[in-house]
Amino acid sequence: MTLLAGTGVGVLETGGQQFDAADRDLWMTAGETRLTPTGGGGFENTLYDSRNVSAAVSQQEGVRNAVPLAFETVYVTTEDRDEFQTFVGSGTPGGGSSVQVIEGESLDGDPYYAGGTYDGERTNDVLIDQETARSLDVEVGDTVYVGGSHAAARENEMTVVGISPTFGQMLGTPTVVMPLSELHQVTGSTQTEPATFITITLEDDADSEVVQRELQAQYPEYEIRSNQEQLDAVLEEQVLVLAAGFTLVVLAVGTGIALTVNLLGLIIYQQRQAFAVLKAQGISSSLLILTVIGQGLAIGVIGGVLGGVLTPAGVALLNRLTTAVVGFDGLVQFEPRIVGGSVAIAVVIGTIAAAIAGWRISRTPPLEHL
Amino acid sequence: MAIPAPDHRTTHPPIVAATNVTKVYTRGSGPGRFGRLLGRSEPPTVEAVSDVSLTIQPGEIVGLAGPSGSGKSTLLHLLAGLEVPTEGSVQFQQTDIASYSTRRRTRLRLEEIGIVFQRFHLVDSLSARANVALPLVELGVGRRKRRERATEMLDRVGLGDRLGHKPGELSGGEQQRVAIARALVTDPALVVADEPTGELDTETGEQILAEFRRVATERTVVLASHDRETLAIADRIVRLHDGTIVEQGDE
Repeated sequence: MTLLAGTGVGVLETGGQQFDAADRDLWMTAGETRLTPTGGGGFENTLYDSRNVSAAVSQQEGVRNAVPLAFETVYVTTEDRDEFQTFVGSGTPGGGSSVQVIEGESLDGDPYYAGGTYDGERTNDVLIDQETARSLDVEVGDTVYVGGSHAAARENEMTVVGISPTFGQMLGTPTVVMPLSELHQVTGSTQTEPATFITITLEDDADSEVVQRELQAQYPEYEIRSNQEQLDAVLEEQVLVLAAGFTLVVLAVGTGIALTVNLLGLIIYQQRQAFAVLKAQGISSSLLILTVIGQGLAIGVIGGVLGGVLTPAGVALLNRLTTAVVGFDGLVQFEPRIVGGSVAIAVVIGTIAAAIAGWRISRTPPLEHL
Repeated sequence: MAIPAPDHRTTHPPIVAATNVTKVYTRGSGPGRFGRLLGRSEPPTVEAVSDVSLTIQPGEIVGLAGPSGSGKSTLLHLLAGLEVPTEGSVQFQQTDIASYSTRRRTRLRLEEIGIVFQRFHLVDSLSARANVALPLVELGVGRRKRRERATEMLDRVGLGDRLGHKPGELSGGEQQRVAIARALVTDPALVVADEPTGELDTETGEQILAEFRRVATERTVVLASHDRETLAIADRIVRLHDGTIVEQGDE
């Protein structure tokens, strides 16, 4: 039950945590934020001229910086493969602190942009997540070919400089991260410089709501959203994900109750003759019910504690499994409130079920069971 | 409460007496009001015990014998107040217990009658001592006194070293001895046992019978069995057939 609930809560909360982890205060988009129907998980890039817009937003009072982020479908292959695989190419102007690197190095700026002339030196560096590394069977230092088309990919030889789970976890799909200008270049979009959104970090003393209102007034053609609003906007389109997460939580609670009742029912049914003998020997209904409740309570507590103790190992195992299968790290969550809730269900439902079973046994004539 | 070894055959009033007792069981449920309107017939009935009269004196060991279906278990249940007769009366210590409420009969069994069944049916989750002590909880005996009394009873049946063992950790014979200790822990005046050795091998059965012999020196015992060895400990054997007493006499 704790694992099922942990998965459900994980599905519901992981997106939010990733948005929080992105450490941005505001998000600017050019309308709806949804998965492109043709892509392998990329967002629509409808915020054009993103570099200039970002630069203008950065000048706004209270804004520390504004960074465009683009997600595009890209084709990737390696030296020893003929086929291409589709991934989400993530473009970021230089990596930044919000891109976590767990192996190798981070991206080193975005020199190719060169102030908009696109004639700087290309780094040809990419970061990939663990799932991408597994899919392509590459590691740090290996060469990959990336492009918005097969032809473009063949011409863009890049080097894996690090492993980063950041965007893979945020999007729930394998990613290839590179400097924004190089993503625009390999996808042929340097002219329009599209971005999925612009992330805005505020000064420490800035009032988020005030800045949001001012930016919204200044850029009425764009949507300025807080972290939560942005998450809601993304998830609005992901009803299935929400439904799945919610269903898992409901299923966990339902299953926990059903299993507890079932287990207790079986245990008490097995002992119906023992209780019948006690009744035959003059034990009153109330003591009989108390004895059964005692058993229910003991089973509930033992089951609950055992579940709580075993949950971390189960969570770790399931997370390894989900990471291996879908590349999504830390999906199943271990939360004290889930374990607490599970123990409470085991104890409360165990006690109630035992009380009902005890009451039923106490009402049955003893010889009926003997 | 227990009566110490009296001369049971002569002057004392009977501890339990069944007079013209008949017990009829109905097979299945009745047709109900609407069923009767629709012409459904009453379910068949079985007369398990038919016009039986039996008197048991204090300190006596009585064996109820007979083949399966002869009515010995039903008669035992009637004598122990587990069933009420359809006709006739059962008097325990000269009081008709058929007129008692269910609650009062339950209390009577707790205080005056110890019951041992063929199957031991101990509560699995409780230790041997806790199983034995349960009737004392019902009687409101304090925890310390309960433990002492239960320990004493288990000592008497040779299980002083098995106090903390759960039923699953005990052999069949040991479990039956725990059941005997549980039946005796309230110091009942009457002990009834229904095929007490039926689930046991010969050797263990003999040990249990030895236990009953010890019990019988202090109180009245009624045993129902079709086993000759078991009945051999009885002072008097009452033989039943088709729900009626066909013979009774000394061992």
